[in-house]
Amino acid sequence: MPPKPSPSSSLTNPSRREFLARTGVGVAGLVLGPGVLLESCSPAGSATNHIQGGLRGADHAVGHLLRTPGRLPAPSQELSTDLLIVGGGVAGLAARRELARHGHEPLLLELEARTGGNAASGQNQVSAYPWGAHYLPVPDARNHDLLGFLRESGVVTGFDGTSGLPIYNEYHLCHDPEERLLLNGHWQQGLVPEVGVPAADRAQIARFFQLIGELKQARGTDGRDAFAIPLDHSSTDAQFRRLDQQSFAAYLDQEGFTSPYLRWYLDYSCRDDYGATAAQVSAWAGLHYFAARKGRAHNATAADVLAWPEGNGFLVEQLRQQGQGTILSRIVACQLQETPTGVEVLAYNAAAQRTVRIRARQVLLAVPQFVAQRLLAGVQGAVHPAQPLHHAPWLVANLTVTGLPQGPGQPLSWDNVGYGGASVGYVNANHQHLSLSADGPKVITVYWPLSDAPPDVARRQAYQTTYAEWLPRVLAELEHLHPGATPYVQRVEVWVWGHGMVAPIPGFLWGPERAALAQPLRQRIFFAHSDYSGMSIFEEAFYQGLRATREMLAAV
Amino acid sequence: MANAAAEAPAPASPGTPERARRGAARQEAQSVLLLGSVFVIATCGLIYELIAGTLASYLLGDSVTQFSTIIGAYLFSMGVGSWLSRYLGGPLLKWFIWLEILVGLVGGFSAPLLFVLFEYVASFRLILYALVGLTGILVGLEIPLLMRILENRFEFKDLVSKVFTVDYIGALLASLIFPLVLVPQLGLMRTSLLFGTLNVVVAAVALYRFPETRPYRRAFASLMGAALLALAVTFGYAGRIQRYTETLAFQDQVIYAKSTIYQRIVLTKNQRELRLFLNGNLQFSSQDEYRYHEALVHPAMQALPHARRVLVLGGGDGLAVRELLKYPQLQQIRLVDLDAGMTELFKQNQLLTSLNQRSFFNPKVQVINGDAYQWVRQDTTRYDCLIVDFPDPANYSIGKLYSAAFYQELHRLLAPGGKLVVQSTSPYVARQSFWCVAHTLQAAGFHTIPYHCYVPSFGEWGFVLAGENGHWRPNAGPLPRDLRYVTPVTIRQMLDFPPDMAEVPTDINQLNNQALVRYFEEDWGPYVH
Repeated sequence: MPPKPSPSSSLTNPSRREFLARTGVGVAGLVLGPGVLLESCSPAGSATNHIQGGLRGADHAVGHLLRTPGRLPAPSQELSTDLLIVGGGVAGLAARRELARHGHEPLLLELEARTGGNAASGQNQVSAYPWGAHYLPVPDARNHDLLGFLRESGVVTGFDGTSGLPIYNEYHLCHDPEERLLLNGHWQQGLVPEVGVPAADRAQIARFFQLIGELKQARGTDGRDAFAIPLDHSSTDAQFRRLDQQSFAAYLDQEGFTSPYLRWYLDYSCRDDYGATAAQVSAWAGLHYFAARKGRAHNATAADVLAWPEGNGFLVEQLRQQGQGTILSRIVACQLQETPTGVEVLAYNAAAQRTVRIRARQVLLAVPQFVAQRLLAGVQGAVHPAQPLHHAPWLVANLTVTGLPQGPGQPLSWDNVGYGGASVGYVNANHQHLSLSADGPKVITVYWPLSDAPPDVARRQAYQTTYAEWLPRVLAELEHLHPGATPYVQRVEVWVWGHGMVAPIPGFLWGPERAALAQPLRQRIFFAHSDYSGMSIFEEAFYQGLRATREMLAAV
Repeated sequence: MANAAAEAPAPASPGTPERARRGAARQEAQSVLLLGSVFVIATCGLIYELIAGTLASYLLGDSVTQFSTIIGAYLFSMGVGSWLSRYLGGPLLKWFIWLEILVGLVGGFSAPLLFVLFEYVASFRLILYALVGLTGILVGLEIPLLMRILENRFEFKDLVSKVFTVDYIGALLASLIFPLVLVPQLGLMRTSLLFGTLNVVVAAVALYRFPETRPYRRAFASLMGAALLALAVTFGYAGRIQRYTETLAFQDQVIYAKSTIYQRIVLTKNQRELRLFLNGNLQFSSQDEYRYHEALVHPAMQALPHARRVLVLGGGDGLAVRELLKYPQLQQIRLVDLDAGMTELFKQNQLLTSLNQRSFFNPKVQVINGDAYQWVRQDTTRYDCLIVDFPDPANYSIGKLYSAAFYQELHRLLAPGGKLVVQSTSPYVARQSFWCVAHTLQAAGFHTIPYHCYVPSFGEWGFVLAGENGHWRPNAGPLPRDLRYVTPVTIRQMLDFPPDMAEVPTDINQLNNQALVRYFEEDWGPYVH
C-alpha cells in the first residue's frame, strides 16, 4: 500500500451499478454493440461457494494486551541486553542493520510470528505475494544510505563508470507493462486518465504536471530541494512549508485544478500513498508525492519502480539478513519503565504464555506512535500528541485466480486500476515472474484504503466486518475491473490493517508536534517509525531507523 | 379445411355493436401481429442460410462452392418443408408456436454447434448439411403455415401480396445487416443465437396474444423459458466458445487439434503438406521447413567442428534437433520446451516422427519440459552452441525471453568460443523487431552476425548469430552432406541485407521497457487486420 501514485473516488464515489451504467455498458455498449452489453449484464459472481479463504490480520488479541498491562502474569523470565529494539518493521530492522554495521547485536522484539511490519508477505503454490507495501520507487541518487542498502541486497548491481549513477538489477525493476487504467470501458496505458478525456481536462492535467516539473527543480533559499525524500531534507522555506497548512483539495481549488479527471487521479494518489483523500491530507504532502520523485539511475528513470512478487517482503528479508542479534517473535512489549541504569520492559511471550522482564541500557521504540504512547504511560516527560495521529485503516485481499478475462486495451500489467473504483486496484504478484505461461494461475493483491469514514469509525467497522461480508465486496471490485472473473477465483484471503498507515493531515508534517514526538528521552528511550515522518513509505521508515540509530550511537 | 386459428378468434356471440367492434379491432391487431411475425421469421430464415454459407466457406474453404451448395441445399430443404406443411393439421397456431421454438433452437445453436463439432467429428460435411437441411425444412414450414392461419383474414390476392412483400423485405434487411452489422459486431456465433432468440420471441408473442392458446400456455411458457435461457447463456459464453474453436484460421483439413495447458496445437494437412499451428500461428509447413531449420542450425554449427554440447531452447517439434544430429561429433543435445504436450506429440504422431526423423528418440537427446527462463537461470552447464527458437515476441511473457537480461544469462552458459543463434522474426515485415533483437544481443556483450533466408510459407525470415567474438566464417568447416538448402554459397548470400531490410536504429529490449514487443506490434499490426 505504500507508494505509488494515482487517483481515487471521492468525487462521486459511484456504486458499481452506477459505474457500469455510466461507463462499462454505456460506452462499451455503444462501441462494441449488444454482445458486450449483454455479457456485462450476465449475473456476475452469483456462485461463490467454490472460493476458499479467510480473514487474516495483525495479531489484535496479543496486541491489545498493551491496553491492560496490569493483567499480565508475574514475570517468570529475565533477560538483559545492552540495546533493545521493540518492533520488527522496516524502521526497527533498518536500525538493527545499522547497529550491526557498528558492531552491535541488539535484541529485537516482534509482536508477529515474522518480522516485516506492513511489508509482510505470504506465499502459496502459485506465487509469493505481498500483504502490504509492495514496491520502492527508484530512489534519489543522493540517498546514499538507501543505495548502500540496495547495493548490499543485490538490487543495485554497480555504478556506471561515467555518470556514477546506480545500475539496477533488471529482474528487480518493474517489468513492462507497468500500469494501466480502466477508463470508459477500455484499459489504457498509464494511470493518468487519457482515453476519452476532454481537451479542457487534458490541458489542466498538463498544467498540473508542468507545475510538478517546476516543483521538482525548486530549491529554497537554504539550498535544499523544496521536496525531498527523506522529507526532513526538504527546504525550510516558508513559501513551501506554508503548503502544509491547507488541505490538498483546498489548494487545488485555489489553483484552478478542478477537472474531475485530474481530481480523481490526485485523490487516487493520496489514497494510494496515504490512505486518505486529497481533502484529508495537506497540500505539501499531496505535492510531495509527485515532486519528491527524483530517482535517477543508469538504466531506469524516476518513473520506474522496484518490485518483487512478495512486494517489500523482499526488502525486509534483506534488512533482517543484514542485521545481527537475536529476534524474539510473538512477543509483545507491554510496559516500560526507567531504572537507574537504563530501562526495563515487561513483555508477554504469547507462545510460551509467560511474562518476560527485559533490562536494557537503551531502548528503541520502533513501533507506531500510539503504541509507543501506551508503553510510555508511566514514563516521565513523555510527549503525547494533542490529537491521535490519523492512521488510515486498509483492507488488503490476496486472490488466487486461475485466469482473468481481459477487456479491450492494454494487457494485464503490474498495477491495474479502475477509474472511480472504491479500491485502488490490484497488483499482479506474478508480474515479476519470468514464466512463459502468461495465462496461467496468478495471485493478485487488491488494495483498499477504507477512507470513506473517519479513521476510528472505519477501523471499528472494519474489525466488525466478517469474511462473509468482505468477500462479496472484494469480488464486486474485481468484477468492476473484469466482468465475469468470479468463476476464476479460487481463493480470497483478506487482511485488515487497523492502523495501516499514517496520513499527513494539514499541519502535521511541519507543525511542532512531529519533531517533539521523535525526541529521545534522557538518552535512553529513542523513537523510530514512519509515523515520525508522517508518511508511511519505505524510504521514510528506513530513514527513521537510521536517524534513531545515529542518535543512540551518539549518546554512548 | 377446418382451421382452428381462423375459427377461434371469431366473435363468440355477435352481441352488441360495441363488442363486435372490439372483436374486429382484435382481429385486426392479430393480423398485423402475424404479418410482423412473417417479417421476423423471414429475416431469421435468411440469416441462418447466410450463417451456414459463411461458416462452410470459413471452415471448408472454397467459398464459391460452399455458398452455392449451401444455398441450394437450404432452398431445397425449404421446399421439402413447404411440401410437408400439408400434413400439419389440427390447431395450426399450436403447430406454429412449436415450429418457432424449434427453429429458434436449431437455427440459434447452428453456428455454435458447427464450430464446436468441426474439430471433433470425422464427417463434418454430413453434420453441416444435415443441420442446413433441418433448418431449411423447419423454415420452409413457416410461411405456408402462417398463410393458412391468415387465410380467412384476407382475400387470397391480398394475403399472397402481403405475406410475400413482408417476406422479401425481411430478406433484404437480413442480407444488409448480416455483413455490415452482425458479423463485424457480433460474430457468427452470437448472431445465430440472437436470431434464434427472435424466433422464440415470435412464439412467445403468439402464445400470449391469442386467447385460444390458453389451455397449453403454461406448458409452452416453461419450454420457451428454458429455450431462451439456453440461448442467452450460450450467448454469454460465445466469446469463450469462439476462442476454443479458432478453426476459421485454417484453410486445410484439421487432422489434429489439442489444447495443452499452454497452447492450442493444430495440425492441418492437404495433398502437398502438413502444417503446424500454435495458437493459430503457423510454425512450419512440411513443404519448406527444411529451409528454416537448416538456416537456423548450420551457419553456427559448421563453424564449431569441436562442439560437444548443444542447448536448444524452444523447438519442441524436434526439427532443429534433427539438423543437429547430422553432426556426429555432438555428444549431448539438450532441449528445453515448455510444453510436454508438444514434445509428446512429436514423439508419438507418425507423420511427425517421420518429419523429425525420430530425433527425440536419439540417445544423445535429452528433452526437458520446463520454463526456459527458469531453466537457464539455474543451469550451470557450458554449451558450445545455443539454439534459441522461441515463438515470435508477440506478448510480454515471451518478450522477456528476448531481453538483454536473458541474453546475459545465455552469455554465462556459452563455452569459450561458442556460438548462439536466435530466430529473430522477419527482417522484411518486422524490420525494427529484427534489428532490436540484434542490438539487444550486442548490449548483452555479444558480437553479432545477422542473416536471413527465404522460406516460402513464412516469407523472408531472419536470424542473429552471436558469439563472444567475431571469429566466424561461412565456410569454416564441413557441412553435412544431405542438406537441401544451406551451402557455403547460400550462407554468404544470407549475410547480405538489401536496403529494404537494412539495419535501423532501435532501443534495447529490457524487461522494464519491453521495446521489442512494442516494435513487434507496430511491425506486424498492419498485416494482421
